[in-house]
Amino acid sequence: MSDLNALKQELAKSEVEPLLPIEKKLIGWSLGLGLGLLIGLAVLNRVFGLF
Amino acid sequence: MTDTAAVARGAQLELSEDWLAVIVGIAIFALSLVGAAGPDLLGWVVTTSVWADPGKALAPFSKAYASLGGFGSLVVTYAALLAVLGAAVVALKIDIRRFAAAFTVVFFLAYGSWIVGSQANLAVVTPADFKKFGLSWSLRLTNEGGYVVALVLGLVIANFFPRFGDWLSAAIRPELYIKIAIVIIGASLAVTAVGKLNLATSLLWRGVVAIIEAYLIYWAVVYFVARKWFGFSREWAAPLASGISICGVSAAIATGGAIRARPVVPVLVSSLVVIFAVVEVLILPFLAATFLSHEPLVAGAWLGLAVKTDGAALAAGGITDALILARAASEGVNYQPGWILGTTATVKVFIDIFIGVWTFVLGYIWTNHIDRLPGSARARPIEIWQRFPKFILGFLLTFVVGLAIALSIDAAAAPRFTAAVAESNVFRVIFFILTFFSIGVLSNFRKLWEQGLGRLAAVYFVSLFGFVIWVGLLISWLFFAGVKPPLAN
Repeated sequence: MSDLNALKQELAKSEVEPLLPIEKKLIGWSLGLGLGLLIGLAVLNRVFGLF
Repeated sequence: MTDTAAVARGAQLELSEDWLAVIVGIAIFALSLVGAAGPDLLGWVVTTSVWADPGKALAPFSKAYASLGGFGSLVVTYAALLAVLGAAVVALKIDIRRFAAAFTVVFFLAYGSWIVGSQANLAVVTPADFKKFGLSWSLRLTNEGGYVVALVLGLVIANFFPRFGDWLSAAIRPELYIKIAIVIIGASLAVTAVGKLNLATSLLWRGVVAIIEAYLIYWAVVYFVARKWFGFSREWAAPLASGISICGVSAAIATGGAIRARPVVPVLVSSLVVIFAVVEVLILPFLAATFLSHEPLVAGAWLGLAVKTDGAALAAGGITDALILARAASEGVNYQPGWILGTTATVKVFIDIFIGVWTFVLGYIWTNHIDRLPGSARARPIEIWQRFPKFILGFLLTFVVGLAIALSIDAAAAPRFTAAVAESNVFRVIFFILTFFSIGVLSNFRKLWEQGLGRLAAVYFVSLFGFVIWVGLLISWLFFAGVKPPLAN
């Protein structure tokens, strides 16, 4: 039960960890690549009927 | 809900469960194939038709076993599944007596729900069927609404009879059941695809493209929301982002392993995934049928991108397939069945494949840049294979074999092969039913709240209903709009 209470407290309020540079890179690259591919492939498909 | 320790043990069994799903699924497919060329070994399996007279609800699949009668085929089906699954749980070192007792109850409650869901006043949709059964009203759920009945029954047990739910836990194995179903469904999809190979290939490529963007966009946004807006630590945010954005239970557990999180973290995230998948299945198919009935494959892809467990996504796809086909039929357009479900399955299967790649990327970043400790194990490329969901190999095998046979078989033998695949599909439906019932039994909302998951649930709610569902709809629209299923002959 004490483990459960500790977990509940941890989930309710955890110490804030600032975003590391590598995390910002991961988010930025992932989002950028995803958006770039989305727009690029969607346009190519509409114009050239890729699929 | 099963206790945390039991679910953690289940996570460790995941690899063995994968291979067992491959064995059971391929065995069912292989035995059904025998019937295409020789004796029908599985024709005793029980099927359920939409019924107004309960005496006509059940029947064996094959007329060769008609003497069994409906109830007889139900009992034989139960006994066969108990034998096969019993052997599987022995291999997983689970108490066979506990499993046998629990599975007996699970099977009859789950299948009973399917029978209830097939009652005409719940299932009938088309004007022709209204006339056939002499009905003045129907809930119009189609017989796939039986999945929802099974789910709701499971939810009632979990939330109002939790001790009974705990007693059933030995046979509450939604991951095993859905993996077997996915292995079996490969052949059905192959037979569906072979008639329109160009369309099937196009859907495959569209699916791959849609998934890649979904992965990259979803994961980044959800991770940012969890870290920045809700202040979660990296240990919680990464499995949460994978669970919400990729594929629920498998992705959360794989990510937790990749970043060396405490086992309790992905297990609790997985519990949340199941709960929200339940909510999605109760809502999204009906939204899809209402707003996307003129773009059926957009609906199929959307469900694959939006519903975050394999079981819930495929069942949602099946329900939507039936609902949209019925709606289209009432407008005079008769689509071939299975293409919407097939699109959902394709999207989901590819998502599962990419779990291994993405968790390797995360593992590499965590072990080399975030939690870099001297002498600690770094992520290695072999982990991509270790985390690859092995049951997908079974799906690919049945798909490829089914496709090869369908393409090479002569016209005289084709009906027997199609019937054999339809026979294996009956087992797929039964495993879907077991999955849905099990998901319901795992969803104890009160226990979840007691575990303090309110803040996690808030992230999930904001991310899923505020972002993932709508971006998934946009991506599905961009790549699947205008593509329609072929018309039935």
